[in-house]
Amino acid sequence: MSDTTTSSVATRVGDSVQRVDDTAKLTGGAMYASDLVFAGMLHAQVKKSPHARAKIVAINTSKAENLPGVHAVLTGKELNYRIGLYVADKDILAKDAVRHFGEAVAAVAAESLDIASRAVDLIDVEYEVLPPVLSQMDALDESSPLVHPDLGSYDYVKASFSPQPGTNIPNITKIRKGDIDAGFAEAKWIIEREYTNPSVQHVPLETHVAIVEWKAGDEVTIWSSAQSPFTLRDLFCRAFKLPHNKVRVVIPHVGGAFGGKAGIHLEPLLACLSRKAGGRPVKFQATREEEFSLLPCRSALTYRIKTGVDADGRITAQKLLMYWDSGAYADYAVNVTRASAYSAGGPYDIPNAWVDAYTIYTNKPWGTAYRGFGHVEFFWGLERHMELVAQVIGMDPLEFRKKNLLKPGSTTLTGERINEHTGNPLKCLEAAAKAINYGRLTPEEEERQARTGRRIGKGIATLHKAPAMPSFTTTAAVIKMNSDGSVVVNIALTEIGQGTATVVAQMAADRLRFPVSLVKVAVERDTDKDPFDWQTVASKGLLLTGNAVIAACDDLLRQAYSDAAQVLRAQTADLDHDAERIFIMQRPEESVTFAALSIGYVYPNGNGIGGPLIGLGRYTAQGLTSLDKETGQGLPALDWTYGAHGVIAEVDPETGEYKVIKIASAFDVGKVINPGTMRGQCIGGMIQGLGTAQCESYIYDGHGHLLNPSLTDNKILTSKDLPEEIECIAVETPQLDGPFGARGVGEHPMISVAPALANAIHDATGAELTHMPVRFEDVWRAIHNKQPIDTWVTKAPAV
Amino acid sequence: MNDIFKYRAPTSRAELFSLLAAHGEGAKILAGGTDLLVDIRSGLVRPELVINLKKVEDFSDLTWSQSEGLIIGPATTVNDVLHDAKVRDCYPLLADCALTIASHQLRNRATVIGNIAHASPGADMAPGLLCLGARVQIASQRGRREVPLKDFFTGVKRTVLSHDEIVEAITVPPGTAGSRGSYRKLKRIDGHDLALVGVAVTSKDGAVRVGIGSAAPTPLLIEGLTDADPADAVVAAAREAIRPISDLRCSKEYREYMIEVFVRRLLEEVR
Amino acid sequence: MWMSVEVNGHIYEREVTEHWTLLRFLREDLELTGTKDGCSAGECGACTVMLNGEAVNACMVLAAEADGATVETIEAEAAKGELSEIQAAFARNYAVQCGYCTAGMVMSVRELLRHNPKPTVAEIKEGIEGNLCRCTGYQQIIEAVLDVSGQITNETRGGLKYV
Repeated sequence: MSDTTTSSVATRVGDSVQRVDDTAKLTGGAMYASDLVFAGMLHAQVKKSPHARAKIVAINTSKAENLPGVHAVLTGKELNYRIGLYVADKDILAKDAVRHFGEAVAAVAAESLDIASRAVDLIDVEYEVLPPVLSQMDALDESSPLVHPDLGSYDYVKASFSPQPGTNIPNITKIRKGDIDAGFAEAKWIIEREYTNPSVQHVPLETHVAIVEWKAGDEVTIWSSAQSPFTLRDLFCRAFKLPHNKVRVVIPHVGGAFGGKAGIHLEPLLACLSRKAGGRPVKFQATREEEFSLLPCRSALTYRIKTGVDADGRITAQKLLMYWDSGAYADYAVNVTRASAYSAGGPYDIPNAWVDAYTIYTNKPWGTAYRGFGHVEFFWGLERHMELVAQVIGMDPLEFRKKNLLKPGSTTLTGERINEHTGNPLKCLEAAAKAINYGRLTPEEEERQARTGRRIGKGIATLHKAPAMPSFTTTAAVIKMNSDGSVVVNIALTEIGQGTATVVAQMAADRLRFPVSLVKVAVERDTDKDPFDWQTVASKGLLLTGNAVIAACDDLLRQAYSDAAQVLRAQTADLDHDAERIFIMQRPEESVTFAALSIGYVYPNGNGIGGPLIGLGRYTAQGLTSLDKETGQGLPALDWTYGAHGVIAEVDPETGEYKVIKIASAFDVGKVINPGTMRGQCIGGMIQGLGTAQCESYIYDGHGHLLNPSLTDNKILTSKDLPEEIECIAVETPQLDGPFGARGVGEHPMISVAPALANAIHDATGAELTHMPVRFEDVWRAIHNKQPIDTWVTKAPAV
Repeated sequence: MNDIFKYRAPTSRAELFSLLAAHGEGAKILAGGTDLLVDIRSGLVRPELVINLKKVEDFSDLTWSQSEGLIIGPATTVNDVLHDAKVRDCYPLLADCALTIASHQLRNRATVIGNIAHASPGADMAPGLLCLGARVQIASQRGRREVPLKDFFTGVKRTVLSHDEIVEAITVPPGTAGSRGSYRKLKRIDGHDLALVGVAVTSKDGAVRVGIGSAAPTPLLIEGLTDADPADAVVAAAREAIRPISDLRCSKEYREYMIEVFVRRLLEEVR
Repeated sequence: MWMSVEVNGHIYEREVTEHWTLLRFLREDLELTGTKDGCSAGECGACTVMLNGEAVNACMVLAAEADGATVETIEAEAAKGELSEIQAAFARNYAVQCGYCTAGMVMSVRELLRHNPKPTVAEIKEGIEGNLCRCTGYQQIIEAVLDVSGQITNETRGGLKYV
C-alpha cells in the first residue's frame, strides 16, 4: 500500500524503489489478456497440421459448420493476405501447402471452447505428405526442396535484407573489415571449429492470447498479450490495407514475453474470424502445447568460426559463418541474422573480419525474436571457441580474452570507434573472474572436491549487445498532471515484467524532484491514447523511453514555471520548486502549488490562466545508419552493454551429472536506475540462460514431428536448480546520451551463460562441448570420448 | 479439458463396483487424478464416465500393524506416505521414492496406488515397493484377489487388472520393515522430472533386492541376490534383466550405464 | 452436477460442468481470474490454490471433486485491502516481475510456512519447486520467504554489488 500523501522527499535514480505494479499482481487483481471477457465473445480453436511438409489436397468443413454454436469456420482459401515483419511470406492460414508441424490450416469461432474444440475435430483435411527439409545445412543443398518456391515474388524490406530467389535463403548479411587474407597470413595459429544450438522455446508463463473484434465500418479493436502495440497495429493495417485510425490495439498486463510476443501472431486470424462471425469479439489462448509449434521459437544456429592468432596471442583475423535456421517463415530470423552478423566477433578487437550470415528456411516452426536476439546462440560458439583457442595456443583463457578485448580506440566489425564512454568490458570480465576466484580452487573447494569425488571447474565468458533496431527508431512520452499535483505517464513501451513501469516512474520522479508515489505509469497500452513507440524489444526501452520521459518532464516543468512566473510576477529564472510548489528562490514563502497550476490557475476573482499541464517528450536514436549491403560498414549500435559471467561447476566425472555452485555476472549498465529491479532482470536472465544451457531444446523425429511440446519434456529450471550462490555486479561507466547515464540490460544477463558453464565443465573434466544444450548425457559422452548424440535436430529415434 | 465425460462419486464399495461393472472399459477411476486428467486432456484416454473413489467410505487409510505390515489405501497420497512416521521408521525407502515424485502440490493429490496402477515404466514408487515385497489387493464385484507387485505389471501402462477391478490396497509385509535401502533417480534437472532411470536397492537379513524403473516395459525386480554376491554379479544380474530403449529423454546406452553406476553406488550404501 | 463449494468464505451453489477442472470453474464460472492457467497439465503451478487447506494444482482437480469442499484463492490473501505478510515480503524483495506465476507462488509459500514457519533455503526451494517462474530466476522469491519468516541476515540479504 503505497503512501501518496506523507512523503515529499524526492525519489532519486539509484534508490531501491519498490515495484509500482506489484500490489495488483500480488492480489490477483492485475488483468491479463487471458482474463478478459466481453459480452458476446466467441472462442476460437485451430486445426493444425500433423505434418511438417504436405500439400493440402482438400479441406471439408461442412460438419463443423453445421455444429450448433459454431459462428465461423475459416480455411486459407478465403484469406488473401500476406503477413511478415521483414519478408511477407506467411499466410494467415496455410493455403495450398503446410510448411511445418503444428501449422494452422483451419479455424473455428464458437460460443464455447468446448464447441470450438469439437468443431475443429470435425474438420477433415486431406494431405499429400511430402519429405520435409529439416536441417538448415541440408536446405542449402541445391537438390533440397524449396520451402518457399515463390520467394522471388514476396515483398520485403529492401534497405536491410537480401532474399535469394530460387533458394531457401531469405537473407544474407555480409560484413567485411580489413583484409582477411592478410590477417590469416600474419597468424601463427589458425583454429577452426563448428558450434551448434537447437531451437528453444521462450516459455512465458502466459501463453499467447488475443481477443479481436472487427465491427461494421472496419472498426477493429485488438486486446493482446503482444509486446509491441504499434508494430502490431501497423503490420495488421498493412496486411488488411486498413487506415491506422481504424485499428486500436490494447495491451493489458503481459505474463512474460521474452521476444516471443513481439511482432504479430494470432491477431489477423482472430480478426478474420470476428469479421466472419458478424463482428463479435473472438478470443484465443494457445495451449502450452500450441505455444511450441503454432507459435514461434528461437532459431537454431550452426556457427563456424575460423580464428587466426599471432605469436603474442593477438587475434589477427576471424572468418565467421553463421547458418540460421529460420524454420518455415522469415519473421524475425532475418533480422536476428543481421544483428548477429554485426556483433559476431564479440567484444574483441578483430582487425580483419569476414562474416557471412545466412537465414535459411526449413520445414519447422519458425524462429522469432528471443531475449538476446541471436547473441545467446552465437556467443555459445564464440566463447567456447575463445576457450579452445586459448587452450591450443597455451595461454590462460582469461589472459587471452583480456589481451583481445575492445578498448578505447578499437573499431567494431562495422567500423564504429569505441571510446571510454562506450562501456568497460575489461572491468566486467575482471569482476566476474574475481567473484569466482578464477584460476584456482580455494581450500574449501579443494576439500569439497576431495570429500565428494566430484570435480570443480571454473569458467568465464564475455558478452556484448547493442539494440537491434532501425537506425531511426523513435519514441515519445506524455506526462499529465492531475489537479492534486500527482502525474500520470503515458508511454507505449509495454510492461512485460521487466520493470519498465517502475524505472520510468523513478526517472520521472527524479527529474520532477517528486516522490515516486506522485507518479503513476498508466497500466494498459492503447494505440489510440498513448504516444508512439516502435517496439518493446532489444533492451532499448530504458535509453530511448527514458530520454523521452526526461524531455516530457522538462516540458511539463517549463509550462508550470511559465504559469508560475505569471502568478508570482517573477521571471522563470527566479524560480525553483519542490514536490509541492514552485517558489521564488530568494523568498521561498512566495509560492504557488503544482496542484493550483495543474489544470489552469484561478485567481481569487475567478480569472483563469494557463491550462492543463501536459508534457511531451520525444527521442530518436541519434546518428545511426543503415549498413552497406556488401561490406556491412555503418553505425547500427545505439549503445553497447558489455558483460561477463563467471561460473563454478561441480561435475561427477563418472556420470556427467553436474551442478552449478556459483554464477557471478557483471554488466556495465552505465547507471543503475533501480538496484532491485536490475538485480531481478539479471538473475532472471542468468537462470533463463542456464536453462537453455542445461536442458532446453526442441526435439524432432526424422519426419519433422515435434516430440516434446510440453513442460514434461521441455524442462525449464525450477527453484531446485538454482546455483548455490548467485552474484550480480553493476559496473557504471556512464553512457553520455543515456538517461542519467544508463543503458539497457534486459537481454544481456542471458547471453554467454552457456559457454561460461561449458567452460567450467571443460575446466573440471576436459570435456570438449560444442553443442547446446549441455545435458548430463552430453557431458558423460564428452568425458568418455563417446560419439555425441544429435537428438535435437532431425535424427532422434521415433517414439 | 475439452473431452466430455460424466462424473460420479460413489460413497460405498457396492455402488462403485456396480458402476464399474456396468460401464466396463468406458469408466476410468479417479483417485489423485494427476495421471488421469493429463491423459484425458492429451486424448490418450477418452472415458465416458470418471469415477471418483475418494468418497467411498469403507476404504482403508494408510495404516500399519505388526501382523500385516503397511497398508496403503486407495486415497493414500504420496505426501501421506512421505510424512508418515511409521513409513519413515520402517520403510524409509518409500519416503525416498515418494520425495522424487513431481512437486509438492501434485504429491498432495497423487496417490501411491495411482502411481502403481497407472503402470508407467518409470513409476517412482515401483522400484521401492518391489524391493519391499509389496502385494496388490484387487477387488471387484466378483470378489477379491491378491497379486505380488512383481506380477502386477504386464506392459507399458498395462496391468493384470480387469475393467471391473480396482486396487483397494497395496500391502508391504512386516518382514521387510527395517530394510536398508535407498532410491536413485536420473533426471534432466534437479527439479521435478520423470525418471530417466530409477534404481532402488535394499538389503535385509542378507538378501539383496534391486528394483529398476524406466529400463523395460514394466518396472523390474531382481531377487535372489545376497550380501555375499560381489557387486559385479549384482550389476550383471541387472544388466541381464533390463531392456532400455532410446527416446527423447536419453539414449539406451546412457540408461544402461547409469543403471550400473546407481546399482554399484547403492550397493555400497546398503552394505 | 449440482454442487456446493465454499470459495474464499462464500458459499457457491451451482450446476457444474462435470468434465471441467476446478481451474476452469474458478476462472470461468466464478470469474476469479487471479488464479492463472499456465499449462493445464500440472507442470507449472500457476493455478495453485488451497483445497481443504492443502495446496493443489487446480488444473489437476475436477470441479466436481470440490463438492462440499473449501477453496481459497489469491483473491482472499489480502484481507481488507491490506497485503498479507507474504505478499508484503514479495513486494519488498522484488519477487514479482510479470506476475503470472505470482498467485500460485504465494499459495505455495503459504502452504510451506503453514507446515514449516522457518524453512531453510533448501526447504524453500523444495516448497516452490512446483511453481515455475520464467522471469525472476526464483532468487528474490526465496529471499522474500526468508524475509517473511524472519530469517534475513547479512548472508541471506540479496543485493546488487557495485565495482
